[in-house]
Amino acid sequence: MAETQLADVLVEMADTLVDEFDVIDFLHVLTERCVQLLGISAAGLLLTDQQDTLQVVAASSERTRLLELFQLQTDQGPCVDCFRTGQPVSVADLPAAGRWPRFTAAATEVGFAAVHALPMRLRSEVIGALNLFDTNPGALDEGKLRIGQALADVATIGLLQQRAIHRRDIVTEQLQTALNSRILIEQAKGVLAERHHLDVADAFALLRSGARSHNRRLSELAQAIVDGSEQMIPPGDATSRPS
Amino acid sequence: MVLSFGSAVFGWGGAMNADRSMRLWSLAVEHAHGRPVTIEHVCAAVISAAGVDSAAVTVMLSATPRETIYTSDQVASDLEELTLTLGEGPCVDAFAGSPALVADLAAPDCLARWPVFAPAAAQAGVRAMFALPVQVGAIRLGVMCLYRVQPGDLDRGQLSDALVSADTACALLLDKAQRDPARGDGRWPEQSGPHHPEVHQATGMIIVQLGVTAAVALVRLRAYAYAHDRRLRDVAGDVVARRLRFAPDADGDQGRGCS
Repeated sequence: MAETQLADVLVEMADTLVDEFDVIDFLHVLTERCVQLLGISAAGLLLTDQQDTLQVVAASSERTRLLELFQLQTDQGPCVDCFRTGQPVSVADLPAAGRWPRFTAAATEVGFAAVHALPMRLRSEVIGALNLFDTNPGALDEGKLRIGQALADVATIGLLQQRAIHRRDIVTEQLQTALNSRILIEQAKGVLAERHHLDVADAFALLRSGARSHNRRLSELAQAIVDGSEQMIPPGDATSRPS
Repeated sequence: MVLSFGSAVFGWGGAMNADRSMRLWSLAVEHAHGRPVTIEHVCAAVISAAGVDSAAVTVMLSATPRETIYTSDQVASDLEELTLTLGEGPCVDAFAGSPALVADLAAPDCLARWPVFAPAAAQAGVRAMFALPVQVGAIRLGVMCLYRVQPGDLDRGQLSDALVSADTACALLLDKAQRDPARGDGRWPEQSGPHHPEVHQATGMIIVQLGVTAAVALVRLRAYAYAHDRRLRDVAGDVVARRLRFAPDADGDQGRGCS
């Protein structure tokens, strides 16, 4: 059954890649599928900004506290170690491991007990990490780690699209574009949150469902919302809230 | 001012970035010789840090035509003129949002991509050029272009220095919109990278609160932080938590607290 699921996810991802696709949306779906396939609580993707700092570009949930936890790993935590060494980092019981005190305290506060980080590798370079969290302590078994690594590799491929990547400058161009798209989406979340009295996580959900239902690229719609050239009507807005 | 170099501008976000950014800013301050730091000095700093020969910054706001606000020498002026005349080239591509890094303008793929610009640029004596967007999400201010006589890639450190310099130029331009002449206190302009999403969320909220463009919203947010001597991300956090609203009023840039 798990294999069928995995096959479905890989087919879904491959389909996305051949369409005209939005990289942030693609990575967001990938993190959601990680949660489903691996039976974990949360997943996030961090990319290097080419100034050797990791930045969050997508997460299975846009809850602010979760995003903060991912972002906390710009200077310590399993993702930093994974990024620096290019090796997976797996911690079955975070408090017992006694590493990264600040990160551990923050993760424990949000309710996470186990954490894993898998490298996004491009030949000899590491361009980011896939970060997995679970509320239950425990290791990921060999099979799940392999699936996780396969998904991290799919993320790398998706990020770099179908272009023949033989020069570092193209990687930089793609990474910088992805990071700027992420900023754009935050700006659009702010517009929607303010206009429709939502919290920012709900604003993201609204943006994403809008992109889905109108078959639009996430960043394109975000741009239109920030420009003010398009507006969105949240479901039930007319009846549930005063204007 | 409380915030000086290397102070609490950064918390848990990008310590290495901060070092690089501070180093480049110090270099720009040196080039300014006690005068306010401007784009010119940021360009002088990046020319030496990234090992290039010339630099230019062009601003392209949708309301105005493309305007080159600084060129370091005649070669940079000529190349900017060429871009403007031909309407193609790495600088045009970079304005669409991605850096365009060109190790050799005489390479076949470059000649195919920019059939008119690439040979003309090589003719003008430039073999490598690196065009970096000056932008924050939807806010596209312009492009920083670096030119080099010798072909070849920037190495990793040079590329990072170039990217940080483009962000510094962006912060300077945003702040200049609010305060002219440029600040004279040598204070480092806090940059708006991806590591503080609340800054961008707050920008979006201020767009709606003031009915302004994203660029103006970010300018207002930055001006408020500057005027109140607070970190940008702390002020942004207040906006996102709805402890602070910006209201259009006489002074324009005064956010009014409401609790």
